[in-house]
Amino acid sequence: MDTQFLVSLAIILATFALYIGIAIYNKAKETSEFYVAGRGVPPIFNGMAIGADWMSAASFIGMAGTIMLLGYDGLAYIMGWTGGYLLLTFLLAPQLRKYGRYTVPEFIGDRFDSHTARVIAAICTIIISFTYSIGQLSGSGVVIGRLFEIDAKLGTMIGVVLIAFYAAFGGMKGITWTQVAQYVILIIAYLIPVIFMALQLTGNPLPWISYGDIVGKMGELDRELGISEYFAPFTNGTKWQFLALMFTLMAGTAGLPHVIVRFYTVSTMKAARWSGAWALLFIGLLYLSAPAYAAFSRFILMTQVAGSKITELPAWTKTWVDTGKLQVADGNGDGILQWQELIISNDIVVMATPEIANLGMFVIGLVAAGAMAAALSTAGGLMISISSAFAHDIFYRVLKPNSTEKTRLSVARWSIVIATLLAGVIALNPPGAITQIVAWAFALATGTFFPALVLGVWWKRSNSQGVIAGLLVGLGVTLAYIFAAKYGGFTILGIIDTGAGVFGAAAAFAANIIVSLMTAAPSQKIQEEVMDLRYPEQMVYKNGEVWMNDDGSKSV
Amino acid sequence: MKKIDKKVADSYFREKTRNMIIYFAIGFLASFGVVFFAEPLSDITINGFPFHYFMGAQGAVLTFIILLFVNAKMGDAIDRKYGIDESKNEQISSGKVLDH
Repeated sequence: MDTQFLVSLAIILATFALYIGIAIYNKAKETSEFYVAGRGVPPIFNGMAIGADWMSAASFIGMAGTIMLLGYDGLAYIMGWTGGYLLLTFLLAPQLRKYGRYTVPEFIGDRFDSHTARVIAAICTIIISFTYSIGQLSGSGVVIGRLFEIDAKLGTMIGVVLIAFYAAFGGMKGITWTQVAQYVILIIAYLIPVIFMALQLTGNPLPWISYGDIVGKMGELDRELGISEYFAPFTNGTKWQFLALMFTLMAGTAGLPHVIVRFYTVSTMKAARWSGAWALLFIGLLYLSAPAYAAFSRFILMTQVAGSKITELPAWTKTWVDTGKLQVADGNGDGILQWQELIISNDIVVMATPEIANLGMFVIGLVAAGAMAAALSTAGGLMISISSAFAHDIFYRVLKPNSTEKTRLSVARWSIVIATLLAGVIALNPPGAITQIVAWAFALATGTFFPALVLGVWWKRSNSQGVIAGLLVGLGVTLAYIFAAKYGGFTILGIIDTGAGVFGAAAAFAANIIVSLMTAAPSQKIQEEVMDLRYPEQMVYKNGEVWMNDDGSKSV
Repeated sequence: MKKIDKKVADSYFREKTRNMIIYFAIGFLASFGVVFFAEPLSDITINGFPFHYFMGAQGAVLTFIILLFVNAKMGDAIDRKYGIDESKNEQISSGKVLDH
C-alpha cells in the first residue's frame, strides 16, 4: 500500500464512475433498446464499441506476451483476429442486418423455420459466450487482485458485481455507449507505454515504424546465444498448426454471437459495411502495436536485465517474482542472470512492462485501468448475448410467446445476474489458462455458427434438417478434436486443440450440404427471403422478380 | 414499387460478388499465402523486418483494413450507380423489424 496503489486506484475508480454514469444515463426502457440499442448507433461509434467488445483481457493482457514468447508463431493471433472481420463484413453482417432480427438464434430459427434449430442455436450461443466469459472474469480477477494486493478470488467477485450491475441495468444501449468510453480508455492505456518505449529505445515516437530494427537486432542476439531467432517461422508448432489456428480464429470471429449482434445495432446494410471497416481500424491500432510491445519488452529484458548480477537486479523484479509469474533462478551458479535463466509468464508482459521500462506510476495505473476496461467491456457484451439467447430465443419465442414486454425484460435482467454469478463461481477455479479457454470458444464458434450462417445467407437450398445436422456435427467434431488432441495426444498434421475449428467447420459444412440435399427444399417464401439478402433494402425480391421500392414504404 | 429488369438486378449482385471475390483473394494471399511461403520469403528485408514477419505483424492487418474501407466505398458507389437512396433504405429498414 503506497503512492503507486493510490494513483492506480484513483484512475480505476474515475474510469468506473464514468462507465456507471453512462450506463445509468442510458438505462434501457424498451426491449429493442435493451437488445439492439434502438438500432440508431452511428458507424464510427459502433466501430469503437465493437472494438471494445472485441478486445478482451486476452487481447490486452495476454497477446503481446504470447507474441514475445512464441515469436513469429504468435502472429497467427494477430492475423486471425483481424482477418475475421473480412469474413464477417463481406459474408454475414450486412445480410443479417437486412434480415432484421434481434439475435443470432432468432435468425437461425426464422430462416430455417424451425424451433429445434432455434433452441440448438440458443444453446450454442450460451455455451460459447459462457466459456468466453469465464476467461474474462478470471482475467479481471487477476488485475484487481494484483492491484489491491488481495486474493485473485476476491478480485473476481468484485468484477462479477460490477459486470452484473451495468449489464443488467443498461442493456445494449447502456453498453454501447459505455463501450465507446472503454475503447478510448483502453487504447490510450495500450499506446502510451509503447510510444514511450519507442522513444527510449529508438528515439522515434512511432513504434510501428521503428521496431523493425529492434527485431533485426534481436535476431543477432539470438544467434549469439545459440537459440532460434525471434522471427524464425514455425519453431513452436507445424506450419499446418499455424494455418489451422489462423483459420479457426478468423471463422470464429465471424461466428461469435456477441460480435454479430453488434451489427444489428446499426440502421442499414451500408451502415453495417462501414461499421466493419471502422471497427477493424480501431482494433488494428492495438493489434499493430502488440508485436511492437512484445519486441521492445523482449529487447529490454535481453539487454538490460539478462547479463546483470543476480544480486543487482532492478527493484521491479522482486514484486513480480513474488507473484510466481517471473523466475530469475541462477541455474549455473555463476552469479549472473543469463537470458535462458529468466522465465517470464506471458500474462504479465503488458502489466509489468511499464515498470520494466520505468515509465512512472501514472502510466502503470493507466495500464491497470485499461486492462479492466478490456475485461469488463467484453464480459458485458457476452452477458447480453447469453441473456438474449435465454430470455428472447428460448423463453419468449418458444416457451411463453404471450408474455408481456415487462416480464421479458425482467427475465433478461435476471438471466444476466444468474449467468454472471455462475461464470464467476467457475472463474474462481478456472478449468484452464485464459488464452486456452478463449481459443476453445473460437473453435466452437467456427464449428457451429460459421457454417450455419454462411450457408443460411448464401445458399437458399439449405434447410432445417441440414442446419440441425450441421450444428450438431460441428459441435460434436470440434469438442471431440479438442479433447482428443488435448488429453489423448491425437493430432493430424501437428494441429493441436486450438486449431480444432478447421475440422469442425469442414464436418459441419459437409453435414449441412449433404442432409439438405437429401431432404425437401425449404418453402418458396423462405427461398425468396434468402434471395432478397443479395440486394440493398430498397430492392425487394418477390415472386422471382426484383422490385424497386421508390416511395420508401414499409409495407413490403 | 416498380419492377427492375432481371438483367439489371442480376448485374448488381454480380458486381458486388465479383468485388468480394477479389477482396478475399487479396486478403488470402496477404495472410495464408505469405505464411505458406514464409521460409523462402524471409530472405527479403523490409524496414528492418524479414518480409514474412513484416506481413504477419503489419502488412496483413493493413491490407485487411484497406480492403474493408475499399469495400465500403465501392459498395456505396455501386449502390449509387443502381439508384439506391440511403435515406430510403433507412426508412424501409426502420420499419422492417419483426414486431415483438
